Amino acid sequence: MARPHIEPFVDRDVSFKKMTLPGFPKGMHYKMLSMDTDTGASSMTVMYENGYAQPPGMSYADMELFIMSGYLESDEKRYTPGTYFWVPPGVHMPALRAPRGCVALMFYNYAEPSFVESDSDHQLAERDHLTIVNAYEDMHWTSTNFFPATASGCLVKVLRFDQRTQAFTFLYCMTPNFWQDNISYHDCAEEAYHIWGTSWMMQFGNLPTGGYFWRPPYINHGAFACKLGTLALGRTDSQLYNHFHFNPWSTPEENRERAGARMLAWKPELYRWIEQHGGHNHPHVPNDFEYDGQGDPHAIAHAHGVPHDHGDGHHDHEHEEKPKRRRRSRTK
Amino acid sequence: MVKVIEHKVSREVKAWLKKEAAEQKERYKKIVAEQEALSPKRDKWVADFLERIQSRGFNVHADMLRKIPAAEIPKKPRRKFKVVF
Repeated sequence: MARPHIEPFVDRDVSFKKMTLPGFPKGMHYKMLSMDTDTGASSMTVMYENGYAQPPGMSYADMELFIMSGYLESDEKRYTPGTYFWVPPGVHMPALRAPRGCVALMFYNYAEPSFVESDSDHQLAERDHLTIVNAYEDMHWTSTNFFPATASGCLVKVLRFDQRTQAFTFLYCMTPNFWQDNISYHDCAEEAYHIWGTSWMMQFGNLPTGGYFWRPPYINHGAFACKLGTLALGRTDSQLYNHFHFNPWSTPEENRERAGARMLAWKPELYRWIEQHGGHNHPHVPNDFEYDGQGDPHAIAHAHGVPHDHGDGHHDHEHEEKPKRRRRSRTK
Repeated sequence: MVKVIEHKVSREVKAWLKKEAAEQKERYKKIVAEQEALSPKRDKWVADFLERIQSRGFNVHADMLRKIPAAEIPKKPRRKFKVVF
C-alpha cells in the first residue's frame, strides 16, 4: 500500500522535527502527516524559524504550499496567510524569507521532498502551470457543485484543478451547526487538514484544529456535524464523486463494487465499450487524444495497478519503454 | 505534464524515507488502537444515525431529505466493524 489510511491524526500531539534532507536550508522544521512509502510523496506541516532564508530554487516533483500563519516574502512580494502555491517540477522560485517565522502546509505529490538551489528553470519545467493565489483575500466561497452535493453550509474555494484527472485542491468550510446525515465514500483518495475548528464524523469522532486525514478510496465517512464552524484545506488525487448511502457497515470492497455497478447504470455504453475492448482479464485502457502519445495504454494499466493476466494467470512480462511525445494540444 | 524530473535519490534521502516510513507504521498502529477504543461510542453514534434517518431523513442530495422506512435499515453484520483500513 502506497499510503496507509491515516485517520484521524492530530499534528498538535507531536513536535516539529528539523528538516535534514539535503538541499533544504537550515531553519525549516516539519511534522509528517502522511507519506507514500513507494514514491516518498509527502504531506507535511512545516514551520520556518524567524529569519529563515531560502535561496532561489526548484524541486524535482510538483510542490504545493499553503501559508497558515506568519508570512514569506521575496524581494518583490509578501505572501500572507491564505496564500497557496502550486509549483510544477523544475520551476524555480525566487529567494524567500520568513523574517518573523511562518507555518504552512506542504505537499509533494509524486516524489520525496526536494530542494535544489537554482536561479533558473529546469529544461523540463512548465512555468505556465505555476499557480499563486491568496485564497483568503482573492477568492469567494461557492457551493460545492458536485452532485449529489453536500448539505448547505459546506462551502469551497477551488485553488487548483487538474483538468485531466480532475484532482483538486480546495479550501473548505463548514458553517456553525452544519450537519449532514449520510455516509459518503469516493473513488479518489481524499486528504484534509483542519486549519481551524472541530468537526465530527460518525466513524472517527471529533477532528479538531490541527486534525488531518489521508483516506484511500471507498472508505466510509459520515454522517457529519460541526458545532462551531471549521476551516480546512482538502485535496483529492482524482475526480471526487459523493457516493452517498446509509449502510454504516459496508466495506471498501463492497463500496467499490457498488461504485462499479453505479457506473454501469450511469454510462452503460462507455462501460460496455471498455469491457468489450479489453476483455475480462486484460482491461483496455483507452487513449486520450488530447494527451496522445503519453504512454502505451497497457503500460498505463500497469502504472495504475489495473489487475490483469494474460490468460495463464501469470503476468511476469516486461514492457519496452517507448519514447514519450508531447501532447498535441493543450486546453486551458 | 511532467510529474517528476528524473534524479538520483541519495543514500541520505533513502535513509530519511526509511525512517519516516517506520514512524508512519507506528502512527498507523496507534490510530487503529485509538479507533478500536472508540467502538462503544461509535455503536451509539450509529444507532442515533439510523434513528435520525428514519425520523428526520437521509440527505439524498444537498438538503433534500428522505425518511428511510424501517424495512430498508441495514442490519449489523456479524463480522468485525472496522473503520480504519
